[in-house]
Parts: sequence; structure tokens; C-alpha cells
Amino acid sequence: MKSIYKYIFTVVALFAVTATFGQSVHDLRLNEMMIKNVDNYADEYGRHVPWVEIFNTAYNTVNITGCYLTDDTTGLAAAGKKGGIIPSHWYRIPTDQKMYMPQRSFLIFYLDNSPLYGPYHTNFSPDSSSRTHYIALINANGKELLDLVEYPLDLRDTCCSFGYVLDGQRDAKAFKNGTRKSGELALLNEFTPNSSNETTAKESKQDELKRRDKYGIGMALISMAVVFTALIMIYIMLKIFNYVTRRATQKSKAQEQAATPAKAMASKAGEEDDTVDGPTCAAIGTALHLHFGSMHDEESEVITINMPSKHYSPWAQKELTMKKNPRR
Amino acid sequence: MFEFFKDGLLQFLSYSGFGNCTWGHIIMICIGLVFIALGIIKEYEPLLLVPIGFGIIIGNIPFTDGLQVGVYENGAVLNYLYFGVVKGFYPPLIFLGIGAMTDFSALISNPKLILIGAAAQFGIFAAYITALLLGFSPMEAGAIGIIGGADGPTAIFISSKLAPSMMGAIAVSAYSYMALVPVIQPPIMRALTTPQERLIRMRPPRAVSHREKVLFPMMCILLTAFLVPTGLPLLGMLFFGNLLKESGVTKRLANTASGPLVDIVTILIGLTVGCSTQATNFLRPASVLIFVLGAFSFVIATASGVLFVKFFNLFLKGDNKINPLIGNAGVSAVPDAARVSLVEGQKYDRTNFLLMHAMGPNVAGVIGSAVAAGILLSFLY
Repeated sequence: MKSIYKYIFTVVALFAVTATFGQSVHDLRLNEMMIKNVDNYADEYGRHVPWVEIFNTAYNTVNITGCYLTDDTTGLAAAGKKGGIIPSHWYRIPTDQKMYMPQRSFLIFYLDNSPLYGPYHTNFSPDSSSRTHYIALINANGKELLDLVEYPLDLRDTCCSFGYVLDGQRDAKAFKNGTRKSGELALLNEFTPNSSNETTAKESKQDELKRRDKYGIGMALISMAVVFTALIMIYIMLKIFNYVTRRATQKSKAQEQAATPAKAMASKAGEEDDTVDGPTCAAIGTALHLHFGSMHDEESEVITINMPSKHYSPWAQKELTMKKNPRR
Repeated sequence: MFEFFKDGLLQFLSYSGFGNCTWGHIIMICIGLVFIALGIIKEYEPLLLVPIGFGIIIGNIPFTDGLQVGVYENGAVLNYLYFGVVKGFYPPLIFLGIGAMTDFSALISNPKLILIGAAAQFGIFAAYITALLLGFSPMEAGAIGIIGGADGPTAIFISSKLAPSMMGAIAVSAYSYMALVPVIQPPIMRALTTPQERLIRMRPPRAVSHREKVLFPMMCILLTAFLVPTGLPLLGMLFFGNLLKESGVTKRLANTASGPLVDIVTILIGLTVGCSTQATNFLRPASVLIFVLGAFSFVIATASGVLFVKFFNLFLKGDNKINPLIGNAGVSAVPDAARVSLVEGQKYDRTNFLLMHAMGPNVAGVIGSAVAAGILLSFLY
């Protein structure tokens, strides 16, 4: 009994863990930003305004609707509380089909304090008068900081972009402690809005695999482990099936016995056993068949002729008018 | 007049097969004829070898390029039919049919047999490692390794994605070895088992309820596809086909999937894969290596299945013990591998019927090879 609960618990726990680690808005990063834009990337109106690029590091589509962009996280703690008010200086990313970011994709928002220009234009603009020098992305619940990138102050006067050296690659532990791993963020050599920050030649997946696992032993071991895991999961499921079926059979048998008390008593006393296994049934069946089959010494001598009735018209049966295929 | 006649005839001859024939074409046509002969005379997997063999002949009729007749020429009829192989939609359709034909009862009634199906996949990764050592790239090695899964559609599916240039050789190799299962496996089984082990009688499988059969494909797709989503085309279709069969209310769909549909796709896949083995692409030293590695992976897969059962028996008692002669069935050549178990078992005890027991690891092998294919794709594609 206990073992079945163990199996059920394992399966449920597995799915629960899967759901917890599901890819979501937590995979979004403020990948690149430009605070002083003189003659660089232009918005849909041809203006050169500051911009920030969001990168979806996940391998599935992430909906960023309802998340907030801001350069001032004041009120984060209060907004997260029950009934808390979201500060008006936060820009809420509006509902739009384009806000579904496909896997490993980029999306640009213009930091131009012109929200009426469209869904990609925020209600704040980082300039020399700004009190802070960072851009933050906050979860739709208003209490969770998804990413915060602090840019160097001189970026306000230099036409240069700043962001992750390796696309969205962040040290989770350091970020949780409010710090950054050195070299994680830097001034970028090239402007790469809507594309990867990694502009130097990158090792292909195959070459990387060849370098890191020259003889393929690592991959073979991982793969065999995954194959076994998948089939062991099915094994556990089938064990549960077996258990449930056995229980159901026992239950129905008990109900049957309760319905016929005399029979049940006899069975209890061991005088009669209801359960007859397959081979025994087959043996009894064969014996009966042989017995009755050998009793044909006298035939009934009655011949029955069945007249087949035609429920169709031969004229309607096109098949009958066709030439038959030759038979061997 | 004579000159004109002569020029016309020579021009016609230059367009004909005789004018373009090479030794490569002749060798390939002979290979095609051997396949057909094996299918018809020996009855080794005739449903596969006859279409593939004829496809090899069609694919190796010499012609001048640009006539839009070859399988690799855009606009050719054969090229359109080959599209299903290149884009990988024939193999999932075959898996739909396999699912609609497969009875998982043996597996459901004795769940531990599923682990044999997992162990037999070792052949795939042993061949992968060996192919890497022989200088193949990781993608090519992965495509070659899948031959050890003994699953034609999976081999085609994976090679079309990882190594399209090798697909012909891999597919022909996979189907050839599947056809030769009754020849390859018995010596390995005999070498790795003792006479006492071959006499082990297994407990008869219990009756499986309709509810269990219906729940099985649904639970399996959830468990396996969550773990290896890249195997979804194969696993999804396999379990969908099985649900059609077991639900009992979609008999027409199940009959179509397991009958006409799978027959049509088998014809198309067999013929076009055969056609893809044009001499220029096929007759290369790499093809010989693929055949050698394919045989090696098959041997390792069979051996690992048998050895795993022997190892597993160390932990089992009484009538729970498993006859190691069903270990070979962990490769997914359904139902040939299971039939080999039965035949071998009966050589030592005529009253020991291992077929039903061997079907458990055999269908587990189908699931295992599809999962392994998914892993290869997620690592290499």
C-alpha cells in the first residue's frame, strides 16, 4: 500500500517540479541599451531616441504583456503588497500580439517619454536630469525584479551601447545579492539592436561538442540515462496500473462474496476455490471438446438447407457486372 | 541521309541509359536485384526489401541530367515523392500505423520488461562512439548510431535531419539488418546464455483491462514527450495510433492507420529511399563504413539486451526470473526480434512459448529508440 503512494507521489512531484522550472518571464533580460542616440538606430518615426533591447533567453515563447519598464524602482516593495498601487512612472507593457516573444528573440523599446507614439514607446526617458542610472524590468505582479542593468554615467554623453557581453548570460546568485559578476556587462564594441551582442565568430554546436566530448562517452552516458529515466517513468506508471487493477479485482471479488454468503463461507473454509486460472480453463475446455467431439457415432440424419434471400437487386450491384479478377 | 540517320541514332543513344551507364550503376542495380531476391525468395521483410530493391533499380537507371526524372532533380515526380523523406513526414505516419497495430498488453502486464528496451539502446550509443573514433562528425555519427535502434522509420527521420547525404546508405543498412534479424541475432543469443538460462519459464502474463490499455498511450505520451520533446513527431504518432486502436470507438481510423495508410507510406518511403541510393552518392568508402558500423551497433544492441536480462535476473527470484532469450527483442524490429526469441526458445524446450513475453521488450524497444532519437536530435541538431 505504501509503495503505491510512493509511486504516485513520485509522478506528481515530477510534474510539479517541471511546472516550477517552466520557462517564463524570468528568462527575460535587458540585453543591450543606448542612452545617447545621435545617429544610430531610428524608431518608426525616424527619430534617434534612447532604446533598450529585451532578450528572451528561453527556448519557448514568453508573453511580456503586463511587465513594467522603469528607470526608478521606488515603490517596488509597496506595489508588491496586497492592494498596493503600481507607481505611475513605471511603463506597463501593453497587451499586443507582438509582445509574445518567440524563443531566443529580441524586442526593442524606445525610452523617449512618448507613450502615445505606440506600444514600444515608454513613459520615461533617461537623460541628464534622471536621478538614477539604470533600467529595470519588473514582473507583472509588480513585486519581482526580472532584470536591472546599471549603466555607466558617461553613457549619457557618449553614443555607445551597453549590455551583456554574452547574450543575456547572467550570474543568478550574484544578481540575487544585488551585485554583478565582473565582465558580465560592458560597453559593446558594436551596436546590435534586434540581434545578438556576440559579434565575434562563435564555435558551432558540433565543434563545441567535439571539443568537450571528444569520444562521445559523455553524450552516450547522458543519453542512456535519459532513455532509462523515460522508460523507468513508464515502468512506475505501469506498476500503479497493476496495483490499481489488482485492488479493483480484489474489491469486486469481495463484493461478489458478500452477495453470496454461503459461497463465501465455503470459500473461506477452503472447501471450494472460485479462482480458476487460464490454463485450467483451457484444459477443461479441451477435455469437454474432445469428449463431446467423440460422441458422433450416430448422426441425426437431418439435412437443413438454407435458402439465401436476396435483399438487393442484381441490377444495382455494379460489382456483379464487372469482369472478375482471375484467381490462382 | 545516312549521316543524318547516324547522327540521330548517336544523339538518341547519348540520352539513353546505355550511353550514360557506369560500373557504379551496374553494381547498384545488382544490389537492388539482390534485395528483391531476398524479399521474394527468402521472404526476409518482403514489404520493405521489395520496394527498396526496386527503388534502387529505378534510382540507378542512368540518364542525362536536366531531364527532370531523377530523385534529386527539382520538379521530378520522384523528387516530389522524396519530399516526405527529406522533410521527415513519412516516418511519423509509419509510426502512426505501428501504434495502431501494436498491442502493449505484454508490457502492461509485466512492466519490468520495459527496462530491456532501454538497455538495448546501448547499441546506438556504442556505434556513435565508434563512428566518432573513425573520424565521422558528431552529426554523422549520431545518424549512423541510430541504425542500432533497428527501426527503419526512426533511422530515416534522424538521418534526414542530421546527415541527409548519408540517408540512403543509413536507411538501406537499417532495413537490411532488420531483414537479417533472424540471421544476426541467434548466434549472439546462444553465445551469451547458458543452457539452463534458455530453459527458464516465465510466469504467464495477466489479463490486461480495457481501461489500462486506453490509459497507457495517454500516460506514455505525457511522460516521454515532457522529457524528450524532440521525439514528439515519432512518440506522438505512435501513441496516438495506439489510442485509436485501444479506444474501441475509432475502429475505422485505426483500420485506416494500420492498413491502407501505413501501406501507402511504406510503398512511398521504400521506393524513394531506394531511389536515393544513386551510385554517385552511395558507392563511397563511407557507405561501407556505415554498413560495418550498422552491423556493429546491431550486435551490441542485441548483446546488451541479453546481458541486461542476465544482470536483472540476479535480483529476481522464482518465477519472476526472465528468460535471457527475450533480451534480443529489446531492439525494436517488431515483431521479427520477438519471433527470433520464440524460435530460439523452442529449440531447447518445445513447450516454452516466449513470443508473448518477448513482445514486451520488443514494443519497449520502439519507445526506447524513439526516445533515443529525440535525445540525439536535442544534442546534435
